Amino acid sequence: MKLWLLLLPGLGSIVFLMGSALYTIMIQSVGLHTELGASLDYWSDTLSDPILFRSIEYSLRTSVLGSLGAVILAYPIAMWLRKPIPGKTAIIGLLRAPMFVPGLVAAFLLINVISFHGILNESLLALGVIDKPLRITNDKFGWSVVMLQVWKNTPFALILLSSSINSIRSDVLDASADLGASAWANFSQVVFPLTIPALQAALILIFIGALGDFAFASIAGSRNVYSLSVLMHYTATAYYEWEKAAVIGLVIMVLSGLSAILITLMTRPFANRTRPVISASFLERSHEK
Amino acid sequence: MKNNNKLILIISLSFFALVNFIWLVVPFFMAVLWSLVDPSHPWSFPDIFPRVLSFNRWIEVWQTTSLPEAMFNSYSLAPAVALLTVTLAAPTAYAFGRLEFRGKQVAELITLLPMVMPTMILAIFFSSLLLDLGFSEPYFSIVVAHTVLALPYAIRIMSAGFKAVPQDVIDACADMGASRITTFRHAFLPMLKPSILASLIFCLVISIEEFNMSYVLGAPDFITVPTILYSFLGYSFVRPDAAVVSLFLVIPNVILMLVIERLLKGNYLSQSTGKA
Amino acid sequence: MLQIKNLKKHFEDYLATDDISFEAKEGEFVTLLGPSGCGKTTLLKMIGGFHKPDSGEIWINNERVDHLRPENRSTAMCFQSYALFPHLSVSHNICFGLAQKKLAANLQKDYLAEALLQVGLVPHKDKLPSQLSGGQQQRVALARAMVMRPDVILFDEPLSNLDAKLRESVRFEIKSLQKKHKLTTVYVTHDQAEALAMSDKIIVLNAGRIEQEGSPESIYYRPKNRFVADFIGAANIHKAKVTKLEQAHHYQVSCELGDLIVESEEPPVSDYVYICWRPESAYRAQGEVENTFNIKVENLAFLGNVTDLFGRTLAMNDGESVRIQLDKLLHTQVGKSESFVIPKNAIRFLEEVDE
Repeated sequence: MKLWLLLLPGLGSIVFLMGSALYTIMIQSVGLHTELGASLDYWSDTLSDPILFRSIEYSLRTSVLGSLGAVILAYPIAMWLRKPIPGKTAIIGLLRAPMFVPGLVAAFLLINVISFHGILNESLLALGVIDKPLRITNDKFGWSVVMLQVWKNTPFALILLSSSINSIRSDVLDASADLGASAWANFSQVVFPLTIPALQAALILIFIGALGDFAFASIAGSRNVYSLSVLMHYTATAYYEWEKAAVIGLVIMVLSGLSAILITLMTRPFANRTRPVISASFLERSHEK
Repeated sequence: MKNNNKLILIISLSFFALVNFIWLVVPFFMAVLWSLVDPSHPWSFPDIFPRVLSFNRWIEVWQTTSLPEAMFNSYSLAPAVALLTVTLAAPTAYAFGRLEFRGKQVAELITLLPMVMPTMILAIFFSSLLLDLGFSEPYFSIVVAHTVLALPYAIRIMSAGFKAVPQDVIDACADMGASRITTFRHAFLPMLKPSILASLIFCLVISIEEFNMSYVLGAPDFITVPTILYSFLGYSFVRPDAAVVSLFLVIPNVILMLVIERLLKGNYLSQSTGKA
Repeated sequence: MLQIKNLKKHFEDYLATDDISFEAKEGEFVTLLGPSGCGKTTLLKMIGGFHKPDSGEIWINNERVDHLRPENRSTAMCFQSYALFPHLSVSHNICFGLAQKKLAANLQKDYLAEALLQVGLVPHKDKLPSQLSGGQQQRVALARAMVMRPDVILFDEPLSNLDAKLRESVRFEIKSLQKKHKLTTVYVTHDQAEALAMSDKIIVLNAGRIEQEGSPESIYYRPKNRFVADFIGAANIHKAKVTKLEQAHHYQVSCELGDLIVESEEPPVSDYVYICWRPESAYRAQGEVENTFNIKVENLAFLGNVTDLFGRTLAMNDGESVRIQLDKLLHTQVGKSESFVIPKNAIRFLEEVDE
């Protein structure tokens, strides 16, 4: 039919642009476009560079902490939102607000708050918690980037988890209370396993987003260690080493893919419990009794 | 027991208010405060509060920096992106919303790719491709790049819109001998209006706040509001200027997103990601 | 043993239960029967602890429990939707409550084995609920509640999602397990057949109040008012003027059907009351017998085991509609006039006519 005509404009544009960018990156990473011809030198060069590994470590660290932080924060809020609360719509609106704030603005807001003479330091000084201001902007570990990721992504995690939690029938939660489950048992044995698919989606999407982050790292991140995207950008635009940049780009993509698989594998065992409790022979024996 | 519940509610609500205060109000308040610092009376340590508040900074930023140019660029890019995206997305959204075909799920997954692919990678290698082709027209390449980034959202929102049109309304139209165009106008259009509008606005928002593509493809001369903010936050860090530009970026954004909320009644995210 | 004392609960603007008291003895099967919205599920949920009563008391085995949370009450509920944990296998579903009690693993296994054998789910023990049929899911829910050995077991319309055939077999199963373990049971339903078949005691609820309480037989044969008479089984109800007769427990009533003799141990509440009789208690008149009346046949339906006949009395102003069920085939035609007899002890006095 004319199906392909319908799909062409939307799907076609996506496939075309993504495909050509992917094609370029693949070609360039092995130097196929140069006169020298194909070579794996760019791979071995880039992969033997300790700077890359520092970047990988930094990016992985901030993404793991950022995505976990967002999800851990979102769970209790989502549980809280299940209850009837006056003004719920307004509360949900407020909770979503960070999503509407562009990343750069978010970075600016945070820097403002945590800068040397920012409100955080001043309040801590005034409260007597510290006696000289803390230097926490552009920290080496990446805490400020983690904070930004959490700030920006919690609403997203909240939306995914909330809709998953809200779709649990209240009968099921009543049943678990009826059978003697405490609030914690109810969460860990019923709510959490039932929200695993949403949790996977939230973790994967936030993690991949954070892994490819450029803006947060280059504004609020460490001055000594680059995030992978920043490193790739510098390599391409400051040193014009397109081939190395392509290798870094592919590293980001491979890491994204691997982490998606890893997240799925690590969370899946929590979803269902079907391990046999008793064997058939046990049943026979008890039948005879 | 009843009072106890009420107490818990009050405690949780006030806790929420406090957290939100720190989480949202304080950062924005600081930004607004910084943007209102009078240029001739700088706010510096140990002043707890700026000495003079005025809108002079806003005027100064507008007059002395290239913000007007960036605004012009951003706001001429965005409508082009929005129109192009919705036009391209509509047929595909129709196919996803109303037709069943083999490989539909795969096709739907592929449309989500631009959402998960790090944009910096796309930006750099799209620019490299354009460089190889000898093409250097930043306005046009940014429009194309933004369109691809916005397409997944537009397709999602609009295919949900197409899906929501009840088959019996379409049948009824056809049954009464309406032509295809009339059917479209009377059966589809009224139900699609909110999702088309929401898609348009979503595209505007995406384009206006998009940084990576604009930064890489526009470098070095073509500036947009986010890229100018980036430069104010980076090598030429002037806090009050950055505050002003931040607000220039965030205020229209929030207003537009509120409009979308209204249009899609808060479902836009579940519609646009399909995950929720 | 379960005791409910003066339980009141309202939601926003409507009264769900209004001052309800009843008792379920050890091992007794009590059914709360009523139309939807009568407050029966609310009542059950208050016993389970999911709703908080506005006032009143709930006692289980001489311990007051209405302030306790569901997890601290020795009740177990079978939900209308079954409310199985979708992520747990049948075995894990059944063991869920035992694990919360921190019961030793080998005891859990014994309980589980017994439960699986009892409800016949052995071949399905490691399947997820989504892989089971409705009837099997119902059995898991039953086993999961039963295995807790609760002081009171609660059923919220457990059969309403099953098809008619299955409903009967699960009904027998529930009843026999209940008897075997002597479980004190509160069972909510709107299905009068279910209530009559299973209960030791039926409590008929309407608009948040108890209309009548008693054994299935007494509810069926001795309804106290029009609501109960009409809700349980079919009933013909007439207004009647009553005169006491010489003979003990005998009354004369004059109603749409004419003058009838009523034999009742309970006297009428006034001399102008509603009376009722069951469609199946009437039979065809042969010769001149006491309590004979005539109707014009309006509709006939042959249902196999019975013939349903709808007729109208021969009074001046259109008459009243009367329903009769006969266990024998009736050779008559629509439009014909027929005579029937109601035995004098089949007529019941209901509440006063209030005009």
